[in-house]
Amino acid sequence: MPFEFNYSWGEIRGGLDRTMLVTVLVLFALGLASIYSAGIGVRTSTVVYVVKQLTWGAVSAVVYVFVLRAGYQDFVRYSYWMYGGTVALLVVLSMSGTISKGAVRWFQLGALNFQPAEMGKVVLILAMSRFCSRNTPNSLKNLFMALAVFGVSVVLILLQPDLGSSLVYVAVMFAMLAVAGAPGRYLGGMVLAGLAAAPFLWGTLRSYQKLRLVVFLDPYVDPQGAGYNVIQSRIAVGSGGLWGKGFLHGTQGRLHFLPEPHTDFIFSVFAEEFGFVGGVIVVALFACLLWRVVRAAFQTKDVRGKLFCIGVAAWLWFQVMESIAMSMGLAPITGLPLPLFSYGGSSLLMTALALALVQSVAISPVKDRFSTLT
Amino acid sequence: MRMYKAFDNFDVDRRLIYVRNIFIFSLSLLVVGLVYFQLVKGDEYVSLASSNRLRMIRLLPPRGNVYDASGVPLAVNVRTFDMKAYPMDLREEEDFDEVAGVFARHGIPMTAQGLKKSVEKQYVAPYRAISAAINLTLAQVSDLVMDPTFPKSLFPSPVWRRIYPGGPLVAHVMGYVGEITRDELEDQRDLHYQAGDIVGKSGIESMYEEELRGVVGDQVVEVDSRGRRLRDVNYNDPRKGGDIRLTLDLAAQREASRLMNGRRGAMVVMDVKDGGVVVFFSSPTYDPNPLTWGISNKEWSALINDADRPMMNRVSGGSYPPGSAFKVVTAAGILMEGVANTKSTVFCPGRFELGPQTFRCWRRSGHGTEDIVGALRDSCDVFFYQMSVRLGADKLLEWSGEFGIGERTGIDLPGESRGNIAGREWKRARFKESWYQGDTVNYSIGQGFLLMTPLQLARVYAAFANGGRLVVPRLNADKKPEWRDVKVSNANMDIIRRGIRDVVTRGTGRAAGGYGVEIAGKTGTAQNSRDDDHAWFVGYAPADAPKYVAAVLVEGGGSGSSVGGPLVGQMLSYLLEYNK
Repeated sequence: MPFEFNYSWGEIRGGLDRTMLVTVLVLFALGLASIYSAGIGVRTSTVVYVVKQLTWGAVSAVVYVFVLRAGYQDFVRYSYWMYGGTVALLVVLSMSGTISKGAVRWFQLGALNFQPAEMGKVVLILAMSRFCSRNTPNSLKNLFMALAVFGVSVVLILLQPDLGSSLVYVAVMFAMLAVAGAPGRYLGGMVLAGLAAAPFLWGTLRSYQKLRLVVFLDPYVDPQGAGYNVIQSRIAVGSGGLWGKGFLHGTQGRLHFLPEPHTDFIFSVFAEEFGFVGGVIVVALFACLLWRVVRAAFQTKDVRGKLFCIGVAAWLWFQVMESIAMSMGLAPITGLPLPLFSYGGSSLLMTALALALVQSVAISPVKDRFSTLT
Repeated sequence: MRMYKAFDNFDVDRRLIYVRNIFIFSLSLLVVGLVYFQLVKGDEYVSLASSNRLRMIRLLPPRGNVYDASGVPLAVNVRTFDMKAYPMDLREEEDFDEVAGVFARHGIPMTAQGLKKSVEKQYVAPYRAISAAINLTLAQVSDLVMDPTFPKSLFPSPVWRRIYPGGPLVAHVMGYVGEITRDELEDQRDLHYQAGDIVGKSGIESMYEEELRGVVGDQVVEVDSRGRRLRDVNYNDPRKGGDIRLTLDLAAQREASRLMNGRRGAMVVMDVKDGGVVVFFSSPTYDPNPLTWGISNKEWSALINDADRPMMNRVSGGSYPPGSAFKVVTAAGILMEGVANTKSTVFCPGRFELGPQTFRCWRRSGHGTEDIVGALRDSCDVFFYQMSVRLGADKLLEWSGEFGIGERTGIDLPGESRGNIAGREWKRARFKESWYQGDTVNYSIGQGFLLMTPLQLARVYAAFANGGRLVVPRLNADKKPEWRDVKVSNANMDIIRRGIRDVVTRGTGRAAGGYGVEIAGKTGTAQNSRDDDHAWFVGYAPADAPKYVAAVLVEGGGSGSSVGGPLVGQMLSYLLEYNK
């Protein structure tokens, strides 16, 4: 069967949500500026990270256009296979894989590091869209089936151990089940079950993970050790003031006070240099992005599209909340990237893929209109 | 239309609005957080940031030591001190005068001009410490800091310097260390290194960088407004790198150096069974110590522009035509392919005619009738000319490949040359010419385009000595011996061993005998386009129960029998007689 694009350029032009696309590009550009700034002082040459990020940006752009042409329907159609493949990959990874800072999260593919947990986010959302649109989780049987099938990936990610990503998975699943029609008492029950399981989960955490949670509650427990990052990041954000210190004039990131300034603490670097005004703009841009993603969900009649969009929204929302709150010391350090902003190829590529699929959902009503006319 | 409309789209949309409102509301909480930290408490954090008096100092670990086979140190570390300062504290013109003055008063040459230049050169950022003076002794440092006029912005920082007690004797094996370059830094993916770090640049230092480098520690200190250290906040010990013991013997290296006596060439001795390299000497050599301590551009260019090329590693990185030393490989091919056996003879009239071309034997008067053992003993060229024509180029090249010619030996040292097996494809690519029978004839006595490293030749002879194992040479004593088998039968091995034993007892290599050990080996006198003939001798001893194989090459040295033979004889005798 030859491959065929489902969407013509005309249909894409007619239905493209330009506001969403521009928001995405502005966020990526601001991220690049921050990565450049964060790179100074880490390396003698500051452009290495920027060049790599730009390269990944170009790859992402190609994927974005391809997905727009192909349309989300085929992705949903084959999502069970993709989900099965990802679970298999995660199982393989738990047996081999490159150890990075004590956690196995990477696949070495030639010169590239590849993180299946990132890809798993999109695949999980696709597969859940398909599953929940066919089996509305308003019966206990359907709910448990969904939890059993998709909980497997959460457990595998947790085993890596990648606490941050597994929390993203949980947030995504919860939001999708809620929108797909799980009754309120089921949702409440899941929350209670989660709280009841928390003490057991605590026991499975690694000591560094526990320490991060403890210093989140009180960073001054260990101000020179694990709490050091929290304090320094808060100083970086706070000292930005109203207008910030100006591009390339931040000192916290530059002086190596901030660990991993170009990835985990990218917002701290940004907020130090662009201040409250810059910070609010970034939060507003993310709010706008989420708004447009949900808008695409409204406009389609396809339940699968609706569920997919809310899944992506939940994923982005969770990472934005976590990453920015963490930079102010208001959430524990989990190492989650700020979408579109942080340095990192897998994360950028998968975010672009997901947002392209959302665009495709946004375009689909236009296609329907075209086809009813003919 | 849809089969699964149990839950209406309308309900989904209602829930979408709920979830969206939760999202937007929670994002507004982030703004509340920003208001609190950046506006309400902003001033407080601004002052915290500007008074942020914590400085991170990377503590570089000492590298692992390297020892020779008997535990003599080949690379160790000594502690010296750098006098450091933050550029932000050294901005004023008077500062430079003051600092330079203090150093000059204590007998350390320094001018304000020179210091200023050096600070500019090292400058990365105002808070990144630079070195005002390096390689000070403890006595110098204590003398300086006792001086009441010593500037408070300077602080001593201990550093490890690498020294090589063996100096020039082991330069090509050990290599040297130096500051990481910008390119090396950007090549690194693991973020282990930072600017200013020391890495292995060549030799063992580069090969075993990961084992030797150790783990960097760090120290967080609180400083006052002038950058003076107030107290330690956090300290992680650096961890010393792992030690490495080599198979090399420093005393034997000294003997090799004495024997080579500054002539251009190479000498290598290796254990025939496990490939442990005992002597690895490239001549002339250089002293790696100044390279690690900092060397001026003038000295550096003198070193790399020296016509004798002392920095070139001739043992494993230099390729030469092997000359007659190659004949054992031709002999193995001839015997194994059944072209000749011990009874086959060739009459040598001193020359060999192939069409219009005449190939001469080294002995113009000829050798008369020779069998294969005699041809090896007398190094009769005509025997191998004739036999190689019968054997054919493809088989000859195949047997060269069997003995690892044209491939790296796999020694644990960077920069190894493959030599050049120079087959048909190579000739076509290089000269756009096809392979002629004359090429085969030249090839059979190790001339023509064939190139080998001394280490490759030593390995070939080791295979004859140990009964057919092509070993991988190794310098690290803890590396597991590796080899592959060459497919030469024991009977044929024996014939060739007899031939090269006769070389020393009665043939061209008699000069290698007479040093008290029984040697089997082969001379080589290789013609080359640029230079006088290269002198080769490759052999092993004791002949009946071989322990060591030795290869020696003297560039432009002339005859292999008179120049090469005695060197190998003395070296092997040193190792087997005086040293045991």
